[in-house]
Amino acid sequence: MTQSHIRNFSIIAHVDHGKSTLADRLLEQTETVADREMQAQLLDSMDLERERGVTIKASAVRMNYKARDGQTYVINLIDTPGHVDFTYEVSRALQACEGALLVVDASQGVEAQTLTNVYLALEQDLEIIPVVNKIDLPAAQPDEIAQELEDLIGIPAENILRISAKSGIGVSDVLEQVVRDVPPPSGDADGPARALVFDSHYDQYKGVIAYVRVIDGTLSKRDMMRLMATEAKFEPVEIGVFSPIMFPVEKLEAGEVGYVATGLKTIKECRVGDTITLATKGAEKPLPGYEQAKPMVFAGIYPTDNDDYHDLRDALEKLQLNDASLVYEPETSQALNFGFRVGFLGLFHMEIVQERLEREYDLDILATAPSVKYEVVKKDGSRIFIDSPAQLPDENAIDEIREPWMKIQIYTPQTYIGPIMDLVIKKRGEVVTTEYLDATRVIMHYRMPLAELIVDFYDRLKSITQGYASLDYQIDEYQTDDLVKLDVLVNNEPIDALAMIVHRDHAYHKGQKLVTKLKELIPRQMFAVPIQAAVGKRVISRANVKAMRKDVLAKCYGGDITRKKKLLEKQKKGKKRMKMVGSVEVPQEAFMALLSLDDDD
Amino acid sequence: MPSMTHIQHLTIPDEPVALYLHVPFCRSICTYCAFNTYADSDDLYQPYIDALCMELKILGQSRPNTQLKTIFFGGGTPSVLTPQQFEQIFEAINRAFETSLLVETTLESNPNDLSEPYLRDLRAVGFDRISIGVQSANQSELDLYGRRHNFDEAVSSFAAARRAGFDNINLDLIYGAPDQPLSAWETTLTRVLDLNPEHFSLYNLELKGGTDITKRVETGTLPSPDDDLAADMYDLATDMLGQHDYDQYEISNWSKPGRQSEHNLQYWRNLPYLGLGPGAHGFANGIRYTVVRLPKRYIDRLTSPEKQYAYPHTPATAKAVPVDYATDMSETIMMGMRMLHEGINRERFLARFGVDMVDHFSEIIEKHRAYGLLAVDDQRVHLTQQGRFLSNAVIRDFI
Repeated sequence: MTQSHIRNFSIIAHVDHGKSTLADRLLEQTETVADREMQAQLLDSMDLERERGVTIKASAVRMNYKARDGQTYVINLIDTPGHVDFTYEVSRALQACEGALLVVDASQGVEAQTLTNVYLALEQDLEIIPVVNKIDLPAAQPDEIAQELEDLIGIPAENILRISAKSGIGVSDVLEQVVRDVPPPSGDADGPARALVFDSHYDQYKGVIAYVRVIDGTLSKRDMMRLMATEAKFEPVEIGVFSPIMFPVEKLEAGEVGYVATGLKTIKECRVGDTITLATKGAEKPLPGYEQAKPMVFAGIYPTDNDDYHDLRDALEKLQLNDASLVYEPETSQALNFGFRVGFLGLFHMEIVQERLEREYDLDILATAPSVKYEVVKKDGSRIFIDSPAQLPDENAIDEIREPWMKIQIYTPQTYIGPIMDLVIKKRGEVVTTEYLDATRVIMHYRMPLAELIVDFYDRLKSITQGYASLDYQIDEYQTDDLVKLDVLVNNEPIDALAMIVHRDHAYHKGQKLVTKLKELIPRQMFAVPIQAAVGKRVISRANVKAMRKDVLAKCYGGDITRKKKLLEKQKKGKKRMKMVGSVEVPQEAFMALLSLDDDD
Repeated sequence: MPSMTHIQHLTIPDEPVALYLHVPFCRSICTYCAFNTYADSDDLYQPYIDALCMELKILGQSRPNTQLKTIFFGGGTPSVLTPQQFEQIFEAINRAFETSLLVETTLESNPNDLSEPYLRDLRAVGFDRISIGVQSANQSELDLYGRRHNFDEAVSSFAAARRAGFDNINLDLIYGAPDQPLSAWETTLTRVLDLNPEHFSLYNLELKGGTDITKRVETGTLPSPDDDLAADMYDLATDMLGQHDYDQYEISNWSKPGRQSEHNLQYWRNLPYLGLGPGAHGFANGIRYTVVRLPKRYIDRLTSPEKQYAYPHTPATAKAVPVDYATDMSETIMMGMRMLHEGINRERFLARFGVDMVDHFSEIIEKHRAYGLLAVDDQRVHLTQQGRFLSNAVIRDFI
C-alpha cells in the first residue's frame, strides 16, 4: 500500500453536533457496510454509547473510496471520544491522523469542546476541514457559523462545507475534500517499525487488541514485537484492519491503520499512547506524548447486598480489561462494609462505570459521593495522599491540606458573564482572564478547585446559562486551603461514607444543608433517628427523623388480598435497595446528597 | 423441620364457605370511594339480580350441598335494592346451598335508605346483622366525603334498626381526613359510643387513585392528611373504645364480646369464600378468582349460559389463579396477623402447611419479638399492642 493513496482522519465535534451520524453516512457512501447491516451510530458499539449518543471509546474503520479523480483511496476514519473526561484518548486518536473533520452544529456554533479539539488538532499539526452540519434545522445559521469558523481557524467561510448528515445534503463532498486536503502519511516506510496504540480492547481469545497507526516501517504477522513504554514483548496472534469488522492481513505498512492482537492478558501492558516496535532491531525512540491516564475523581463503590462483594470484584476486573484508566482497590467502610475505592478520569467516566456495573453485570451497587485526591502535610513533615475523606488523619496531626486545582475555560454568550462569575466565586474559583471572541461571545478563563468542579458545577453552569455555556478543563496544580472534614452522624454513629472535606468557611452552611437533606431522604424507622453534622468534636447542625408511628393497611378484606399483598411485596422490594447502616435503613440517594447541596440557593 | 421443597400439597380446610355478594350500585359516589360501583344505573338493578341468581344457580350445580357459614351483601350500596329483590336472591341462595350451619347474614347500608318498614322487611327476608355507613358525626366531614345523609339521619336509622329488631349492628367510621383535627374525631367517637352498637369498623382515610378527594389533594386545594395525627386518632379510638368494653379483635375492627364479624373472620383466617356479582373476588377450591367488573358485561355473561362449569368458575369469572403452597402460606400469615388476639393459630398452621410456623420463621419471629412487635405462645403468633401500628413492617418480612 503506497502512502500516497492513504488518508487518515478523525471527526472532532462538541457533544451532539452530529459526529456519529456523519460517520454513518460516510460508511454508507463508501459501501463499507451494507445497508441492511447499518445500525444508527455504527461506530458506537457499546449499548450505552448508542443510548447516550456519546462516543466513549475511540474506534476505527477502513473505507475504500473511489474519488472523482478516478483513483481509489484507502481512507481510515478514527473516531474519538466526545467527552472532556477522555481528552487524552482524543489526543492519541488525533496523533494517528493527518487530518480532522471539524463538525459544528449550524444552530449551536462553536463550543468549548470544539475549541479544545481544535487546539488538540493544531498541536498535532493536522489539516482541519471544517464542516457546518445540521443546515436543514429551522434554527440553522450556516453563514454565521461559517464566519465563526473562519474567525477561528482562518479558512474562508465560502469554502466551508455545509451539510446535513442526517438527510445526506452535501455529504458526497466530504470525502472528496478529505482526499484533496488531508495530506497522505509521510512516515519512513523503510525505517524501524513504530506504531502508535490509540485504543485497545480486550478479547478473551486473542488477548489485548491494540488499535494502531503504523507511522514508520512495517509490522508483519511473524515479527516478535515490543511495547516501548511498558517493555511488554509479544508475538502477535493476528494483525488486521477494521472493515469495520476485524479482518486479518499479513502485514501493516507505514501509514496504515489496523489492529494487532497482542495475546497480552492485561490492558496495563498495552496502554493507549504507547509505541509498538519490533522486538529485535526495533526503533530507538518511541513516538512522543505517552502519558499514563491519571484518575482524578474517586468514589467508594459498594454492593447493596454484602453477599455480592465477589461479583462486584469480578465485574470491576472485567471492566478494567477494556478500560486501563479505571483503577480500584478494596476499601472497608464501617457503614457500608466491604467495597472498593475506584478512581475515574472524571464524573462522566464514573457515571459510565456505575451504569455498566448495574446494567451489564446486573449488580445493585451503591456509590458514595465523589472525592478528589488530597495531599496532606502532617505536623511531623511527612506527606500523604488521600482519596477519601475517611482517610484524613486526626485534625491535630495535620499541618496543611492541599487539593488539586483546575484550569477552566467557559465559552459563553457574554450576557451570562455576571451569573457565571458569581457561580465560580461561590465555588471558590478565581478569575484569570476573559477573552472576547467577537461582539457577543467570550471565553472566560478561571481556576477552581477540582473538588468544587465535580460537585454539580456543570449542571449549575448549564442551568444559569440556559444551556448556552460550554466547559472545558485541565489539571493545574495542588494548592493549600483551609480545609476541614465534615462528619455526619446518623443515630449517633459517624458514617464514614457520608464524610466530606470542605472549606472551613462553608462547613456550617453545608452541614446544615446536608442534615436537612438527609432528614428528607432517610425514611422513618421504627425508632427516632438523630442526624448530626460535626467538624471535629463540634456539632454544627442536627435534626431528627421521627420514629415511624404507623405502617398499617387500614382494611384488608376478601377482595383486597392479592392487591394488598402485591403492595407489601413492592414495598419490600423498595426496602431491599436501601443499605442497613447499623440499624438504620439508608437509601442510595442519601450517599449522593453531598452532590446537590447548592440546589436551591 | 421438613423443608419447604418437600411439601407441595396444599391442605385448605374443607369448611363451610362465606358468601359475598357485590351490589355495584350507589345513588351517588362518595368522594373517597374507589370501589367498583356505579350511580344512575337503576335500570340495571333487575337484570343484575337475575344474573346474580343465575350465578348462584351455577355454583349450586357445580358443587352441590356446599355449606354456607355467612352471607354478606357489600357494595356499592346494597340497601338500594328492594325487599322483593332480596327475597328473590335469598330464594336462589337457598336453592343452591345448604344453610343449616349459617351463623350470620349481613347487609351494608346507607343511613338514608333505612326506614323502619324497610328494616322490618330486611329482618323478614333473613338479615340478622346490619352495617351502617355513618362515617362521621361532623357535618363538614360528611360534606367533604360527599355523603347523602347528616349525622341526625344516621342516628335515626340506627334507632329504626333497633326497633326493627336488629341486635347486631356495625357502624363504619372514617378518620384521618385532610384538615380533620383530633377534637373532631373525639366528638365523632363520643357520639357514636352513645348509640352503643355491637361493632365498629374504623378506617383511616386512604387516598385512592382517581377519586375526587385524591384529585383535590394532588391539585393542592386540600392539604395532605397528616400521618402522625392519624396515628394519634387511632390511639384515641383504641383508648375510648377500650374503655367502653369494645374488644379490638382486628387491626381496624372492634366488637362487644361474641359480636365479631364471622364473615370477615373467614377472610382473615384465610378460609374459603365465594364472591359473586360484578368485580367480586373469591377464594375457593384452592383458587383465587375475580368476577368481571362491568355490570353490563356481568349480565351478558350470565344470560343463558350453556355448559357446565368447574367450581368455583362461572361464565362471569374474569381471572382465576390456583394458589400455590408458598403463596398460601404468606397469605395465611398476612391475613392472620390482622387478628390481634387470635393471630395465627399454630396448630391450624401446622395442619395446613406441615410445618410449625415458629420453627419455620424462627429468625423473623425472633427479630420482631425483640422489637416488641410480635408475641408467641403455645397456641399462636400474634401482634402486640405496639405491633398494631407497624403491622406492615412485620408482615413484609414474612412474604
